[in-house]
Amino acid sequence: MTRATRLRSTTLAALMSLTATAGMAETFRYATTTDPQSMDPHAVSSAPVLSFLNNIYEGLVRRGRDMSIEPSLATSWEPLKGENGWRFNLREGVTYHDGAEFTAQDVLFSYERASSEESDVRSWFAPVSEVRVVDDYTVDFVTTSPNPLFPDSIANFMILDSGWAEGNDAARPARDAENFASRNTNGTGPFTLASRDPGVETRLTPFDEWWDDDMGNVTEAILTPIGNAATGLAALISGDIDFIEPVPVQDIAQVSGRDGLTVVQGEETRIIMFGFGHEHDALLYSDETTDVNPFQDARVRLAVAHAIDVATIDRVVMRGLIEPASQLVPAGISGYSEANADRPAYDPDRARALLAEAGYPDGFSFGLKCTNDRYINDEALCRAAASMLAAVGMDAQLTTIPVRNYWEQLRADDYDMYLLGWSPGTFDMEHPVRFLLHTQDDEAKLGSWNFGNYSNARVDELLPQIQQELDPATRQGMMDEVVEITQDEVAYVPLYTQPLIWAMKDTIDVTQRADNFFMLRWVTVN
Amino acid sequence: MVYFILKRLIQSVFVMLAVALIAFSLFRFVGDPVSQMTGVETSVEDRERLREDLGLNDPFALQFYRFSSDMLRGDFGFSYRTRQPVSEMIATRLPATLELGIVSLIISLLVGIPAGVFTALRPRGFATQAILLTTLVGVSIPTFVIGIVLIFLFGVQLGWLPTFGRGGTTDLGGWTTSFLTVDGWRSLILPALTLGVYQLTLTMRLVRAEMLEVMRSDYIRFATARGIPYRKLHFKHALSNTMIPVITIIGLQFGGVIAFSIVTESVFQWPGMGLLFLESIRFVDIPVMGVYLVVIAFFFVLVNLLVDMLYILIDPRLRVKEAS
Repeated sequence: MTRATRLRSTTLAALMSLTATAGMAETFRYATTTDPQSMDPHAVSSAPVLSFLNNIYEGLVRRGRDMSIEPSLATSWEPLKGENGWRFNLREGVTYHDGAEFTAQDVLFSYERASSEESDVRSWFAPVSEVRVVDDYTVDFVTTSPNPLFPDSIANFMILDSGWAEGNDAARPARDAENFASRNTNGTGPFTLASRDPGVETRLTPFDEWWDDDMGNVTEAILTPIGNAATGLAALISGDIDFIEPVPVQDIAQVSGRDGLTVVQGEETRIIMFGFGHEHDALLYSDETTDVNPFQDARVRLAVAHAIDVATIDRVVMRGLIEPASQLVPAGISGYSEANADRPAYDPDRARALLAEAGYPDGFSFGLKCTNDRYINDEALCRAAASMLAAVGMDAQLTTIPVRNYWEQLRADDYDMYLLGWSPGTFDMEHPVRFLLHTQDDEAKLGSWNFGNYSNARVDELLPQIQQELDPATRQGMMDEVVEITQDEVAYVPLYTQPLIWAMKDTIDVTQRADNFFMLRWVTVN
Repeated sequence: MVYFILKRLIQSVFVMLAVALIAFSLFRFVGDPVSQMTGVETSVEDRERLREDLGLNDPFALQFYRFSSDMLRGDFGFSYRTRQPVSEMIATRLPATLELGIVSLIISLLVGIPAGVFTALRPRGFATQAILLTTLVGVSIPTFVIGIVLIFLFGVQLGWLPTFGRGGTTDLGGWTTSFLTVDGWRSLILPALTLGVYQLTLTMRLVRAEMLEVMRSDYIRFATARGIPYRKLHFKHALSNTMIPVITIIGLQFGGVIAFSIVTESVFQWPGMGLLFLESIRFVDIPVMGVYLVVIAFFFVLVNLLVDMLYILIDPRLRVKEAS
């Protein structure tokens, strides 16, 4: 290399690095434990997928920082006149990442795609009987009965461009084999997919033509899944990444004690609770009580509630991060019953008295089933609860298993008492009533997570009324009634809301939303 | 020779079928894939339909027949988790694991053989005792602890090396390699050391034991008497005679290194087959687990074959036998 060429190439390199630093000013590297398994917004209804794709795709409505519903691709919506359903007025001038224009046809197409047999999100559209395109920017969703919650229930219903999907043979979500939409995207959202190496690295870059301006300053986001908690923590501390979530409770001190790092914690909307085999005639795992099921007696279930000391669990297992719960949704969720906000106090004497009253003065033994990899410190929680129950004479034989085996066993009724965490997907009390409190009814798609088949005729009667009631006060009155009945009968023993723990460099501003969705557009790198 | 290789390859098909059968009979205990594939709100009806579509309700024999006959035809199926073709998933993860395994093997040989010779020649020296003790400690500590200690020392405290991942890779037409960039090599050091520690100790102790044995033999004594220089004596005459058992053990171990790099890959988020397997277990991704285990079985067969062929290269007596 002659001196002149060397000089030239050095200048060129310097120039390149200059432009490079200017262009890549705010690269944001973040890590989560699970890689989004698909880029198709209708193929998999799992939190990692929906959370990630909300950066790329958009729905008719979206959730704001405080979880409230706000306009997105629809600017406004109102109930249909003369029939049940909703009219959505669409935003004009919105384009997809590939430049195509967003119209009502795409909404109809996305509805057909998302409600098809291959879709995993079709349950959102169970109330819908017809979707009509009125004009290019107006769509009607007709429902079989009045449905005041419908707009809230489709916040994660993401719209695809019909031309793009059909042109790439992805008119239906991939159920068995992947298709073009499993690894490529074309949304209207604030970020575009720059590259994707499944399970290794996914890069996003901002979409300059995005219609909204509620946008941080990230110019490139790199998502790396890191499954091992210790590795994720090391990567954060060493500065290899800027943000991790979730952080194990026991590692919080590791992060917050270091300069340059910070922990952001809040409450998730997930309620951790114990459930019972209401329908079981006998205990499965008892040494002596094999002919009856004491948990069929509400007094025994109430004894469980009085025997468990949530404050101690908070201090010992959860490092003071949880909020005790009285019902199946936390305060702040619509339908939360203020009138029934008290939970049974920790009172072992009362628990013993209740057991004696129910005919078990010496207590009994039973099987408690818990996960060990699903909720925060779930195994430790169950150990603590088991010893608290043993103190009043209920001898819990604890079995903890990985979540991949767990639901199967609960569905096979293989438990006496079990652990369950529930997050209301629609952010309304109606959600747990539909899935956890209504009598099991596969045909009507109700009570599908009500493993013990808790059943109360009045609750079953109230659910459809709640779903259709338009007046908020009347609706809340019905909610209060459901909560009151299920508290009286101790259908479940709600314990607490689970915390959300994120860790990051202290130069980074984020918004932590209660559904644990991570919105890149709210990230600012200082 | 060709006949010998062919025979081994045909045997390998049976080994793989046996592995597939055992693996498949265990999968039913791993968990329920349908619960993992569907969301919370998916109806019971849709869940059952998916189960039916995937053939999970079929009898075990039919499911196994379908899996193995598809595989024999070269159809490896699709992942339950990502819906990608399994063959492609394995193929994109294979280079990471192989490169990691090979580098850790090279480290263990480059350090292990000289250290073995050294400790055999000076059995009572202070350095020998120190080496033997440190490697013993290295072998006794579980792999994931070694990995985490290395990460915290070199990644977090000193900040010299990256804490996770492969760093800069270059795509050579389907084979992504770490070997062509500085970043790639930097990322490779810690996981390769972690994976190689056990191998290293094993190699060293084996070489040492064999050397001690050989050094006592008559031909070494006569060679010494003849005045052959020590260096030549140790490394040509003595060491080459220790190589047969060393190669056997190292070869067998290498299959194990590839198969059980799972822990190392998990600690370093190393995107290889082991990590893929771990993710698949968590998700009950039966097609990926099945294919992974069969591929690993094939590796074992292949490595054994290579070891047998190396014998012939190293030991002239076997060559004579083969010819006759």
